[in-house]
Order: sequence, then C-alpha cells, then structure tokens
Amino acid sequence: MDLRPTAADETFRQEVREWLGEHLRGEFAELGGAGGPGREHEGFEVRLAWEQELGKGGWIGLDLAPEHGGRGAGLDRQVIWAEEYARAGAPARVNHMGEHLLAPTIAHFGTDAQRERFLPPILRGEELWCQGYSEPGAGSDLAAVRTRARLDGEVWRIDGQKVWTSLAMHADWCFAVVRSEPGSERHRGLSYLLVPMKQPGIEIRPIVQITGTSEFSEVFFEDATTDAANVVGEPGEGWKLAMGTLGFERGVATLAQQIGFGRELEAVIATARETGAVEDPEIAARLVDAWIELRTMRYQALRSLSDGQPVSASMSKLLWGPWHRRLGELAIDVRGADATRVEAPYTLDGDQALFLYTRADTIYAGSDEIQRNIISERMLGLPRG
Amino acid sequence: MDFSFNEDQRELRAIVAAFLERHATSQAVREAAEGDGFAAEQWGRLTGEMELTGLAVDPDRGGAGASFVEVGIAIEEIGRTLLPVPYLSTVTAAAVLTHVGEDAEAGPLLERIAGGAAAAVELGDGGAPLGGDRPPAADVLHIGEAGDAVTVDGEAFVVDAGTAEILVLAARRDEEPALVAFEAGAPGVSIEPLATLDQTRRQARVRLDGAPATVLAAGLDAVARARDLRSVAIAVESVGAAARALDETVAYLKERVQFGRPIGSFQALKHRCADLATELEAARSTAYYATWAVDGAPEELAVVAPLAEAVAGAALLHVAAEAIQMHGGIGFTWEHDAHMYLKRAKANELLAGGYRGVRRLVGERAGILG
Repeated sequence: MDLRPTAADETFRQEVREWLGEHLRGEFAELGGAGGPGREHEGFEVRLAWEQELGKGGWIGLDLAPEHGGRGAGLDRQVIWAEEYARAGAPARVNHMGEHLLAPTIAHFGTDAQRERFLPPILRGEELWCQGYSEPGAGSDLAAVRTRARLDGEVWRIDGQKVWTSLAMHADWCFAVVRSEPGSERHRGLSYLLVPMKQPGIEIRPIVQITGTSEFSEVFFEDATTDAANVVGEPGEGWKLAMGTLGFERGVATLAQQIGFGRELEAVIATARETGAVEDPEIAARLVDAWIELRTMRYQALRSLSDGQPVSASMSKLLWGPWHRRLGELAIDVRGADATRVEAPYTLDGDQALFLYTRADTIYAGSDEIQRNIISERMLGLPRG
Repeated sequence: MDFSFNEDQRELRAIVAAFLERHATSQAVREAAEGDGFAAEQWGRLTGEMELTGLAVDPDRGGAGASFVEVGIAIEEIGRTLLPVPYLSTVTAAAVLTHVGEDAEAGPLLERIAGGAAAAVELGDGGAPLGGDRPPAADVLHIGEAGDAVTVDGEAFVVDAGTAEILVLAARRDEEPALVAFEAGAPGVSIEPLATLDQTRRQARVRLDGAPATVLAAGLDAVARARDLRSVAIAVESVGAAARALDETVAYLKERVQFGRPIGSFQALKHRCADLATELEAARSTAYYATWAVDGAPEELAVVAPLAEAVAGAALLHVAAEAIQMHGGIGFTWEHDAHMYLKRAKANELLAGGYRGVRRLVGERAGILG
C-alpha cells in the first residue's frame, strides 16, 4: 500500500498541465466548465472544436493500445489526465460515449476493418456517438429490448424506438442493442449494431426534462439501415457486448467526476457563508457530512483502481448518485427563498439546475434499486426473488 | 499508486485470522467476556509467539519495524471477533509513544510493549473531541512536582486499564495539557475494574495519588495527535467488527426460510444489506487510507483520522443494529452474538464523544466551519 504518486506519474502530470495551459485559451477557456450533465446544450460548437484540438494533441483514447491509436496509458495516468482536465476547468467532453464506451468495445471485440473504420475518427474528435440501449419498455430491464433488425442482403433494416439517448441530435453514429432473431426472448437473439444517425429512417425528438432543457431524446427507427458488416461480435451476441461496454467504465471517470463534485460543494459552502445559512447547525452538519462523504468516495475510488480490491461499480454509483442529489438539495437550501425565483420564461441558475438535474443521477445508468439488486445478488450472494 | 496489500501483509492477515478462527470462537469470546473480561491465554500467544504488539515498533526497540498498515490488519482481524484482549489499547499506546513521545522517555516503554506488555490510553477528553484551540474537556488529572520527580493526582475512567502494565494518560500542568506515562503497579496508583455495557472491552477506575509519572510530550497539539492515532485504530477495528456482523447476517438471510423461501430473497431485506455493504466498503477504504496515512502522510491525519473514525463507527452502528433486526427474535437473545456487536458499536461512539462532534471536528479542521 503506497498512495504516493511515482516520479514518472508526476512528470506525466506536468506534461498534461503544460499542454492544457498552452491550448486551453481563447474561446475554449471562455467556456469554462460548460456542458456536462444538465448543461449539454451549452456551447456545443466550441466544445466540438475543442474535442478536435484534444485529438490533435493525442489526448483522446489514452487507454487504447498504441496499435489502436491510443497511448496505452494505465489507470494511474488516465486518472491524472482526468483530474488535471477537471482542475483546469476545461469544457465537458462531447464524445464520452464514443471514447469511453464504444472505442474500447471495438478495440476488444471488433474486427480489424471495424477498428480501422471507427477508431481514428473518434480519436480525432470527428465522429460523435450515442448509445441506443434504453427503450420505452426496456429501462431497468434491458433484456426486454424490442427494436428489431433483420439482415436484408447487404444491409440490416431496423425498426423500433430507443429513448433517453444522450446527445442524439449531435451524434453521427449510434451503437444499439437490437433484437435480430425474430421470436427470441430476453438475453438471447440480440445484436450490437453500429448505425449511422444521419439518414431518413431515423427521427430524433428531444425530451424536455424537469429542468426545461433537453439533452436526451427519443430516437425512432423506421426502415433505417446500416451496412451488414456493422455488427460487433457475432449476431446474437449483443447482450454480452452490451454488458462488456458497461464494464469499461471503471474508477477513472469517478475520480474525475469527484473533482467537479468538489468544486460544486465548495461553491455551496461559499454561498452558505454569504447567506449566513452556515450558522444554522443543521445546515452546517449537512455541509460537513457532504464534505466527509465526498472524501470517502475518493478513497473508495482509489481503492477500486488497485487490482485485487473487490469494489464494485454498483457501490460507487450507489454512493455518488444519492450524494449528488443531496448536494442539489443543499445548494438551494442555503439560498433560501431566493432560489424560488427563476429568470423568465424558465431559465434556471446553476443551483436550481443542480437541484433538479440531480434527480436523474439516481435513475440513469442503473437506478439505485437496480444497483441494490446487483450488489445483494452478485456480491452478497443473496437469492433472487 | 497502490492501494492493495502486499504479500507479507496478506500473509500476516492470514496468520492472525487462522489463529483467531481456532482460538477466538464465539464460545471463547463469551467465556472471557462474561468472566473477568480478559482472554489471558489468547493474549499471551498473540503477544508471545506472534509478537503482534511489536509490529510497528522500531527494530532497535525490539519490534518488527512494520508500518501502521500492518498494525491495522491485526486490529481489524481481532475486531471481527471482539476477543477481549487489550490489543487496540496497547498498539495505540505504542503509536502514541512512537509518533508523539520523545525517544528518551518513550523508547524503554516501547521495548516493553514489543515484549508483550499491555498498555492503556486515556486522553483526558472525557468523551469530547478536541478541536481548534479548545482544551481537553476534562482536567481531572493534575501534574505536580515532588522534588525532581513528576507526580500526578486525580481520577479517570480508563479503557483496558485493568490489564495494563503501562498507562498513557493526558493530564494538566497548570493550564497546559500533557501526555504522561505511569506504571500500573507504581505506588499511588489504584485500579478498580468495572463492569461495562460492552463486556468485551472493560474499563477501570484509575485513582492517582501522588503517582510518579514520566512526561512524554506537552501541549494541546500532542494530545490531539494522540487522539488522532486512537481514532485510526478504532476506525479499522470498526470495519472488522462490522464486516463480521454483516457476514453473519447475510448468511442467516440465505438460510432462514419463511413463507416458503429464504428471507434473503425479499427485496425489503436485500436492499438494506446492499446499503450496509456499500457503507461498509466505503468505510473500509477510508479506514485503510487512514492506516496508511499514519506513516505515509502524517500531515493528513488531523482530518483523515476523525473522518475515518466517524465514518467507520457509523457503519458499525448501522450494521450492528440491522443485524439484530434482520435476525428477528433470535437476534434479541443473549445466546446470539449480535448484541455484542451493538454494544461495542455504541460504546465506541459514546467514548468518542458522539460522532456528530467528531464530524464537527473534521469540519473545523478542514476549514468548512468556524
């Protein structure tokens, strides 16, 4: 057990800082930490240009092996990159789905041709991806997917509907789990298809959220097509691939996310001082608890990065989701009645948006209840009901 | 950066666990707890052939020269069983002597601890966390002078004093707190064992009447640092005890059948177990980090130590309370072990002055409050 960074890691950290210092300028710096959950509508075009700037610097897909165009960076370096990125206050990334979910899936399970076709544009920040998993009847129960695909000569033909698709309106491609064997049930008969978004067979309808803004959409497929070669793995292996994709998200993203959380918490504490709310013992206790819990989440994330430490992603989610939701409550509680008034017609300030958007944190990417099922059944070995 | 235990550390854990598996059974723990509160034979072997009290003592003083991470491993494993031995108190005293005391005074005492002498620590805080520039809440022990010698008068409740050879206590000279060390058998020292809510960890009333003492360190800061070391020890112990209580509970939920199926298949219970396991693992990560920080990042201890104590203590309280509830009627009996964990959990909390106060201390030291 040694939690000090190595000298080589510190050199890498310095390299990251210097690059960000030199390139995060002008319109990129003006964006601040724009974007991200609840703020995806902010400054999209500039953020896309920034993504391409990152691509030129070789900062996309750090974890990918050099033969796939990455740097083969280990977890420690990925964490350093993510932490320094968050510290620099750089804009939220626009292609999380492509970089962190699809790229490792293709690198692992894809064919050489798929790697050559799809990895370079992700690494250059030129093609954006969205994820087509959830459906109106398949939320927590992903295996209930009903969107159909059938092979018709040289193309797959796709009919059905996906929902809660982040950034669908900006995406060039979608990786989707679809039912490719008619009459199949549950986890069998699903395939993992790569589908171009800009085609007549696809219609996107933004969902207006409780914040009044939109970053999720419904995506309708009506005789949409994709090339027959655009299936990852074998047809029928879609469930395995989808689960594999979810497994690529480890503690790295969590540690970077915590830097943002820390910044939000500092702002809430500062507001509590300004408004005098910190003098209220109950508010003071909640602020301290939030600070303490954020620290424990950091130690948990650090431990999860070391091999042999069985710390599940579900536990991490079950810690940060409710934590963030409570922070959203604190953010407006320390403001008091002032937080009840919004800019006309309905534009929320940061505290109000945090309060409302964080309701999603305990629902998406596996609701808290699903996480509790996973922990109790897979980690504790309790029987299924 | 590496948060995992190395091979030696894993082996140490396996050896301690294997010993306890055989010699700290529920029956053995109960016999000692319901007797005089001291598992003397097991203590003899833990300190003798296993040399566990000297783990982090400098080799020049007869120890193994390991870090507090190794000590934490032993505390955690013993904590799982609640075996009534003064291990936590003794190694806390050793850590205080090592990190806070001056070598001239502390060295000879460390040699004896490495050789198996039991020790007890009471920091004069009367159950109230030290914070900011507040003095210790209790100032019951007063340092006086008798010629060249230092003597102490007063009375205090001290955990594990009934089995200790060496006592490390916080006392006052005028307005300044100081850490002093005594021999339990010295003239002017009387130790009266007491019955305690948590029978697995006894206390004694210590009366000092011109008792000869050695001053280890002076100043509020020294007492606060000693308290931080104790907090880390209690944090990692809480993790061990909570893990055992949760393991037992989960096992019971798989085996107990009602309405024709194991009650562990009901989400009302499963989801609560998931929450407890999540809280426990976060506390474990925090407590492990704190044991590393003792030697690896001592500058972080002022915040990390009380933080770990509060988080791990709360996890133990929650698990222990739920263990009784989920065991149903059997969990309410004297015969079942569940109550022993609840009693340890609550005693730890009250002796710490309540976790709300410990959390406030974190808030003050982290600059959030005050």
